[in-house]
Amino acid sequence: MLSVRNIVKQYAGHRALDDVSLEVERGKIFGLLGPNGAGKTSLIRIITQITGPDSGEVIFNGQQLNSNHINRIGYLPEERGLYKKMEIGEQVLYLSKLKGLSSAEATKRIKYWFDKLDMGGWWNKKVEDLSKGMQQKVQFVATILHNPELIILDEPFSGFDPVNADLIKNEILELNAKGTTFIFSTHRMESVEELCDNIALIDKSKKILDGAVTDIKSSYRNNTYCIEFNGEADFNNIDLFDVLEKKNVKGGTSLKFKLKGNYTANDLLAHLIPKVSINHFTEVIPSMNDIFIEHVKR
Amino acid sequence: MNKILLIIKREYLSRVKKKSFIIMTFLTPLIIAGFYGLIIYFSIKGINDKTDKVAVINENKTLTEKLTSNKNVTYEYVDKSFESLKKNLSNSDYDYILYLPDFDIEQPKGIELIGTKQAGLTLDGRVSDAIEDLIRDYKLKKSGISQADLDHLKSKVSINTKKIGDTGKEESSSAGASTIIAFVAGVLMFMFIMLYGVQVMRGVIEEKTSRIIEIMISSVKPFQLMMGKIIGIALVGLTQFLLWIVLTFSISALAVSVFISKDDARKMVTSGSKITTVNPGAQQIQSTALNNGPLGNVKESIENLDLGKIISVFIFYFLGGYLFYSALYAAIGSAVDSETETQQFMMPVMMPLLLGYALSLSVVTNDPYGNVAFWLSIIPFTSPIAMVVRLPYGVPGWELALSMIILIIGFIGTVWFAARIYRVGILMYGKKASFKEMVKWFWYKN
Repeated sequence: MLSVRNIVKQYAGHRALDDVSLEVERGKIFGLLGPNGAGKTSLIRIITQITGPDSGEVIFNGQQLNSNHINRIGYLPEERGLYKKMEIGEQVLYLSKLKGLSSAEATKRIKYWFDKLDMGGWWNKKVEDLSKGMQQKVQFVATILHNPELIILDEPFSGFDPVNADLIKNEILELNAKGTTFIFSTHRMESVEELCDNIALIDKSKKILDGAVTDIKSSYRNNTYCIEFNGEADFNNIDLFDVLEKKNVKGGTSLKFKLKGNYTANDLLAHLIPKVSINHFTEVIPSMNDIFIEHVKR
Repeated sequence: MNKILLIIKREYLSRVKKKSFIIMTFLTPLIIAGFYGLIIYFSIKGINDKTDKVAVINENKTLTEKLTSNKNVTYEYVDKSFESLKKNLSNSDYDYILYLPDFDIEQPKGIELIGTKQAGLTLDGRVSDAIEDLIRDYKLKKSGISQADLDHLKSKVSINTKKIGDTGKEESSSAGASTIIAFVAGVLMFMFIMLYGVQVMRGVIEEKTSRIIEIMISSVKPFQLMMGKIIGIALVGLTQFLLWIVLTFSISALAVSVFISKDDARKMVTSGSKITTVNPGAQQIQSTALNNGPLGNVKESIENLDLGKIISVFIFYFLGGYLFYSALYAAIGSAVDSETETQQFMMPVMMPLLLGYALSLSVVTNDPYGNVAFWLSIIPFTSPIAMVVRLPYGVPGWELALSMIILIIGFIGTVWFAARIYRVGILMYGKKASFKEMVKWFWYKN
């Protein structure tokens, strides 16, 4: 639904985005990853039409991105705030009217969401009387209230306690199940693995990796396994694997190793089963965190 | 467009509903009306003031002619010693003792005016004037001028200043009235531009520090947000100004009808419209005094000034000057992270305004048709203040039109200029902005 093509954005002195292209599929959750200062926010600002690219184009639903699309996109920025002296209800109403909702419709939806997210009775509170986490909830509601087709969330979970983070996560999944597309910018890799279908990794203004999370992870499989067992085994005279790590754990030994040549995990198990009793066996797949660090370090 | 209206509405309502706005709006007219009332009260009281009774002890051999009493001071020549009278002054019905020693007529020295209270400047002046007259008359007579000639020489002069208006009609005017109006208009204009310009800057800084700006600009264009804020606050200023005018006039009218007795009110009417009513005795004198006195002149001149025109031109220049400066204030607000950082940028914006203010209230009021006044009222940096200051003295129509057109071009220019800085500035955090940086922002594309 969103196609970013060859975007270049130059600021005085440095290039924020250098020929970045990516595809966001409808109904998917797309993770936009990268270290601080990589250019994520610059890219998001181009998609939300806060700034324009120097060259390249953005296609939204088959059309060149234009101001008619503003109301179909919801954006929760990383640096976010509210008018401190304004009442919550009035404030969300104002923000959603700016997105083109009528007063009556906006009021109805605000009541619905306030009830749903345990925010009943907040209408007349002032922002300055709310905790940071509570403010985040208000901002989240303001972002999704106009039923956007595409929601862009920049570090949505920062500032949330685990209970509320979970609440928001479920809302994201629920909206996604109804067909809303998400772009999700974050450093928190565990939430990427939980939520994202596809990712793009941006570093130093360039896209250095993209694809489906499952594909990326499987491409990083390198025949490494972990096994835990009871008993003694002599590995000296077999040439199946290299031991990467061996340590004693409660109730046995834990061994991390990498298979050699064309051997499979079955060959290894066949070798071990007669000798020891196996408690745990798993393939070691690098986490998104490892992949992220590995790429960015290069 | 709809979005700008929403922004204007929020900016307007959030300010008008504030307690400080409501208090300011209702308190200021009360204070103004209070001042106005005090001035009227004292100008009437001053004329009704009781006559000072002065006991004169004359030991001077040359000055035999007596001081003549008038409505302000009664002189009574007494034949007592200075010392004994001084002791009994508080028990006597005299307010002051005037002691004239036997001084040399060429060098009048040692004259004393003693009272239970310190003689004011007015009394001091009256008494010394009277003595000077006495001495002059003595000298003139000595040089051979007769009493009849002397009386003939004395004449009362009062000047009625008038100017020929645009219509060719003679209008009574007084430099005093024009100056008062000019001062009030100049000070108000300066205050308004400053107060509301700074409000725009604060509003921008608030949006930036609270980071609501990030949420806002994903819905609206920075230019819409800036203009919405500027226009919303302009409407707050207009509301306040109009309420002040309405409230001041109604409170003053109320105060006049309640606190000033019918008698005094009638006197004021007489003085203002120059209808001579037949008043008994003393009041006749007072009434004429009012008529010819400075207060009568000022009142008449104020009535002759076209207040409607002044107020509408004032509103035009308030809006023009405010738009001109508030756009610059918005640009400053967008470039900084907190109000404390605004100092270095405020100076260059404040300077022309301050200069215009200072020059308008000195040079322009002294010479409202001079070159300085002309240029100050044409250049858009100073014209809002200079022009409203010049206006009560009368400004040719073409100058007013030229100044207005240049101001409109001027504010379109500053709004355009400020918008280019604003759109970049609002998204820059933690970076110390400099003028160099701002010039760079100005040239950024989109």
